[in-house]
Amino acid sequence: MAAWDLSVTVEDLGADAPPITVSVTSDLHIGGVILKLVEKSQVKRDWSDHALWWEQKQQWLLRTAWTLEKCGIQADAGLIFMAQHKPLRLGLPNGLTLRLRACFSGPVFRTVLGICKMLNIRRPEELSLLRPIEEKKKKKDTDLSEELYDLTEVPLTSVSRPCLYNGMPAHFADSLKTEKVYKMLSVSQPAPAPEAIAKLYRPASVVDKAHIHSRWLDSSRSLMQQGVQENDRLWLRFKYYCFHDLEPKYDVVRLTQMYEQARWAILLEDIDCTEEEMLLFGAIQYHINKLSLSEPQTMTSSPAMDDLDSALQCLEVKLDGADSSPQDMLENLTAPELNDYLKIFRPKRLTLKGYKQYWFKFKDASISYYKSKEESLGEPIQQINLKGCEAAPDVNVAGQKFCIKLLIPAPEGMNEVYLRCENEEQYSRWMAACRLASKGKSLADRLFQSEVQSIRSFLAMQQTNPNTHTDNSMSINTHSLVSPRYSKKYKVKQLTPRILEAYQNVAQLSLTDALLRFLQIWQALPDFGISFVVVRFKGSRKDEVLGIAPNRLIRIDLGVGDVVKTWRYNNMRQWNVNWDIRQVAIEFDGNVNMAFSCVTADCKIVHEFIGGYIFMSTRSREQSDTLNEELFHKLTGGHEAL
Amino acid sequence: MYQSQSTTLPITNVIGYRSFLTHPLTCLQQMDDIDAMFSDLLGEMDLLTQSLGVETLPPEPPSSSSKEMNFSMGFADMNVESLNELEENDLDALMADLMADLNDTEEKLAVDLEGQKEAEAPPPDLPPAPHGLSFYPVPSLSTPTSPEKGPNTFSAPLADSPAPILSPPTLPQHAKPSMEEIEAQMKADKIKLALEKLKEAKVKKLVVKVVMHDGSSKTLMVDERQTVRDILDNLFEKTHCDCNVDWSLSETNPELQLERGFEDHENLVDPLSAWTRDSENKVIFQERPDKYEIFKNPQNFYLWKKDKKTIKDMKDRDKELLVEENFCGTSIIVPDLEGVLYLREDGKKSWKQRLFLLRASGIYYVPKGKSKTSRDLVCFVQFDNVNVYYGKEFKNKYKAPTDFCFVLKHPQIQKESQYIKYLCCDDAWTMNLWVTGIRIAKYGKSLYENYKTSMKKAAVTTAWTNRITTTTSIPSTPSPTPKAKASGQANGHAPQPPAEPMAKVGNAPPPPPPPPLLPTQILPPPPSDPVLPPPPPPLAVKRIPSATSVPRQLPSLPTLPTSFPPSLTYMANLPPPPPSLSQDDSSESPPDFLPPPPPALGFGPGAGSLPSPPPVSFLPPPPPDPGFPLPPPPPDPAFCPATNRGSLPAPPPRQSNIGAGAPPPPPPPPPASAGLQSTPSVRKTGPPPPKRTTPPLAAPSGGDFMSELAKAMAKKRGNQ
Repeated sequence: MAAWDLSVTVEDLGADAPPITVSVTSDLHIGGVILKLVEKSQVKRDWSDHALWWEQKQQWLLRTAWTLEKCGIQADAGLIFMAQHKPLRLGLPNGLTLRLRACFSGPVFRTVLGICKMLNIRRPEELSLLRPIEEKKKKKDTDLSEELYDLTEVPLTSVSRPCLYNGMPAHFADSLKTEKVYKMLSVSQPAPAPEAIAKLYRPASVVDKAHIHSRWLDSSRSLMQQGVQENDRLWLRFKYYCFHDLEPKYDVVRLTQMYEQARWAILLEDIDCTEEEMLLFGAIQYHINKLSLSEPQTMTSSPAMDDLDSALQCLEVKLDGADSSPQDMLENLTAPELNDYLKIFRPKRLTLKGYKQYWFKFKDASISYYKSKEESLGEPIQQINLKGCEAAPDVNVAGQKFCIKLLIPAPEGMNEVYLRCENEEQYSRWMAACRLASKGKSLADRLFQSEVQSIRSFLAMQQTNPNTHTDNSMSINTHSLVSPRYSKKYKVKQLTPRILEAYQNVAQLSLTDALLRFLQIWQALPDFGISFVVVRFKGSRKDEVLGIAPNRLIRIDLGVGDVVKTWRYNNMRQWNVNWDIRQVAIEFDGNVNMAFSCVTADCKIVHEFIGGYIFMSTRSREQSDTLNEELFHKLTGGHEAL
Repeated sequence: MYQSQSTTLPITNVIGYRSFLTHPLTCLQQMDDIDAMFSDLLGEMDLLTQSLGVETLPPEPPSSSSKEMNFSMGFADMNVESLNELEENDLDALMADLMADLNDTEEKLAVDLEGQKEAEAPPPDLPPAPHGLSFYPVPSLSTPTSPEKGPNTFSAPLADSPAPILSPPTLPQHAKPSMEEIEAQMKADKIKLALEKLKEAKVKKLVVKVVMHDGSSKTLMVDERQTVRDILDNLFEKTHCDCNVDWSLSETNPELQLERGFEDHENLVDPLSAWTRDSENKVIFQERPDKYEIFKNPQNFYLWKKDKKTIKDMKDRDKELLVEENFCGTSIIVPDLEGVLYLREDGKKSWKQRLFLLRASGIYYVPKGKSKTSRDLVCFVQFDNVNVYYGKEFKNKYKAPTDFCFVLKHPQIQKESQYIKYLCCDDAWTMNLWVTGIRIAKYGKSLYENYKTSMKKAAVTTAWTNRITTTTSIPSTPSPTPKAKASGQANGHAPQPPAEPMAKVGNAPPPPPPPPLLPTQILPPPPSDPVLPPPPPPLAVKRIPSATSVPRQLPSLPTLPTSFPPSLTYMANLPPPPPSLSQDDSSESPPDFLPPPPPALGFGPGAGSLPSPPPVSFLPPPPPDPGFPLPPPPPDPAFCPATNRGSLPAPPPRQSNIGAGAPPPPPPPPPASAGLQSTPSVRKTGPPPPKRTTPPLAAPSGGDFMSELAKAMAKKRGNQ
């Protein structure tokens, strides 16, 4: 067979280096070509990750046993010999960028698997990659200052999930640098400055949101094939909003990134919520920020955790034992109390408006007051049981007004009572006591001190001027906890007490519980998990919006924003894509048919969404941990996969 | 289901039991003096049975003396009919306690006498045996209610009881010197125990009068750790209802004309503590189809916008999926309700229409001129501090546009107040949608957990009933008496619950409980008891249908459709058993069956000797007397006494009950078997079986006290 010359560009030799020409015959297989190439290059290194990329045809030549003839390669084919794994700048859900080596040759689905394995994120099928929104050019300078996290040094072979070292996957424990990366991945980021939030892109309408979804990469093709170059920027995001098998013990990174994605979705008004919900989100963010700063070590799960558990149990028993000593018993029986002169005001009974001073005693979840300290041994003027009450702050730090508004339930209704404290210190203690009492706890509860602390820090927040940002990490501008809409609507001093009010319901949560709570409230929002695409239904003349949710499709009127119709996947008989006319046709039970063409996104994206959600729903039934990749591609691949 | 509190037993009449329970609810704490007296009598107050809040006496207490004391005390009180309400309630509680004491002592005795009794026991000791039986059934039933308690109680009475008291002070000291882990562990355990007891001492208890759906009422002692689920289980035992998931406890507030079904995970004491002293509020035990409708037909709530037909034609599989989707994810999904409701304006008489939306975070409305987008919504109410109630006849009371109103208020508000929010819907359907939606938003996952627990409970009972029916063939012979016993036991359980935990605990050490019960006769019951307890209720229900003769039952029949089908199955099962009773038993449930042989033995010896059982059987008939003319009772009593005495061994009775109740047809076979095993009484029973069904019902209703009293009497006699 006649030999002919095949010229191949070797990327590693530099862009300017001339292509290497090797003499081949048509029945030489790809592996043979590579061998000759490597020999001729005379470079000694590990070439195992390299493969041939056929530029004109936009395809990888990964089957090394195939002959050139079988591949259809002739002398004019411009082949490039390059590494399959290349660095990629990955935008994480927390807004930070991480450089790592990703696979450019496999389908994106597998690339994501690899990335998630490296980042220690379970259930990678729920995530995918999308192209970021173009940044405005003028902002370039800020990009440079951006701290870059780098994982490209980590050898690919060392990435394996099971072994943990120092509470983190072994490949993170190699150097301080990588440990830092792991901390960034597994601990939620501090609240951004309100100005930063305001500067970021916010979708203003459903159509804007729909445009975001046109950026998803095709899961069944490789990065190279989709024009992604080395060191390009891509976003890694949770794409399918059905989070399977969330286990805080193993899902530290996953949980944190999920929270970050949710947090940003809320801050950037990507998902709508009510004012009350926003305040609660703000309160939980505040709580999470505080906890992540104060106890970052709790985030890392250590393999010795189980042993620890048992050790803790022993300790508990011992403590219990100590508890039962007579003195402690007595202490338990005689709970600590608060005694102070406070002023009280009961708006209901007022004929004369104003606060009157009494001697107050707080004990066992109830408040009693007396005419004076001297009379406190006798019968109180009144005793108020605070169990089940609502305690709200009525505070103006600048005006030195420290009032506690109590709504106390009684058979006849709620009694409104205001307690006025002299100063912050007094207020913090009494407010904390009232809060605990409203939940039926006494001052003996160990939460009392932490409650006092958190009230103080909140007061401090109100004191600090937004301009004078102190180094104190505890002081957070509450504007950074809510979306710009509410930042505009309320001043800090209006917002802070309301967040504080919401905060009292979550203040006792552990870090993990707080993250989970945040996610739960997020998932309970009516619009949660809906990805929008602008489509045109068959037979309709106007654009409409198709909402793709984990369990259903929603047809939304673009003008009014009303839901016109919903179809559930469990009623779905089949769906087809006509790739020639780019139309998706779906048939439901009862001979319901619908068809639409996609306006904002490629119909492959819609197809992948639907197939992806159906794939996700098959997971719960099969308990095995192995991912059925084949099924995923079958459901999402389209004609190319077949 | 049918529990007539007015029991017919002569004893009960003497006591004037009815008068006890006039007041809905009284704080036990208020009756310190009585408590004190009681505690003195018991000597060992520290052991409180947690399940029912009844105090269990450690086995050691001087059986004879303490019992007598208690008994006499109780008796004296009973005679005084004119006690004021509080005292009556106290009496009630005392009775429960007393019964528990008796039970304990009996058990103890039984254990002690295990060996001896076989020979001696027959005549005198038999009484204890029945008690023991009653206990066991309770345990099985009650176990679900208070599983945690079980272990504690068990350990406490048997081994730890003495230690706990001493331990708190002494333990710490010991702990320091002792290096051995085992010792430390033991001490730790003791400390824990002591702490628990201390905690228990502080536990708040209420005596609650629960109104049955037929208008009668039952009185229970409820402690603050008990959930509504525990109490429902308790009531299941007492009422022999079918245990279906619709059964619920509700509170009514006549002053505000409100009603609310308690959720199973709620503590009962909390909401009741909010009632005012002069409250006319009531706790009602009834079936509420709306309670778990959300899980039975989730599409009605989650797909309410869809057309009626698709909702109606929903496949079961799709329903399951829907529930899974909304309740099994990481977050609970609240149905997205929106619609125009009428809102009663604060302080005004008028009702104003507004567009309301339900979200997980609360109810919102759309302000005038604004859109429905989330950011424009105004929060109307959040659910943290309010409960949702159905309003009754608000059209009259508040001039509401319709009678389909619901109300949101803080549970502690008991009277008219501006803080109560009144909403009115166009129709019952909408109201149901909203109330259920609010419950989902407020309770979230617990609602589903509750439902699953209820389902399990219901399934277990039906399964048992099935199984029992099959087994019943053998026991069927003594059927008449057994029924009475079963009912009596069920009734008596109120106090017995304490015993239950022990029985459960016993599972770990099963051997101990069974032996104590009855030397020979006991054997059959113990196995059956754990299992049987659940079945009795369903049986009762079944009986009701079969026993249509009784007027009361007729109404109940419609409500208990589920029970009927089971009966059919039972019937099917029954045919085979009659021919070879013994074989069937063994084949069906090896462990349980083993007992059958013993029961036979028990019958032989016990027949003549058992004094206590007869009272139990009698009890049922008497109750009917007051309220209703019970034809069956007369025959039963006659039979029962004889049978009971003969049959005291509990095991046969239950089975027999089942057989009789479930399928009237089977009765014929039983007589034959009865003839084989038991003498005259059995024969008599043969014909009446169907009728008997009615008596057992009566018995359960009034039975608690009556049966207990009877037992107590028997016990006393036995002791003497």
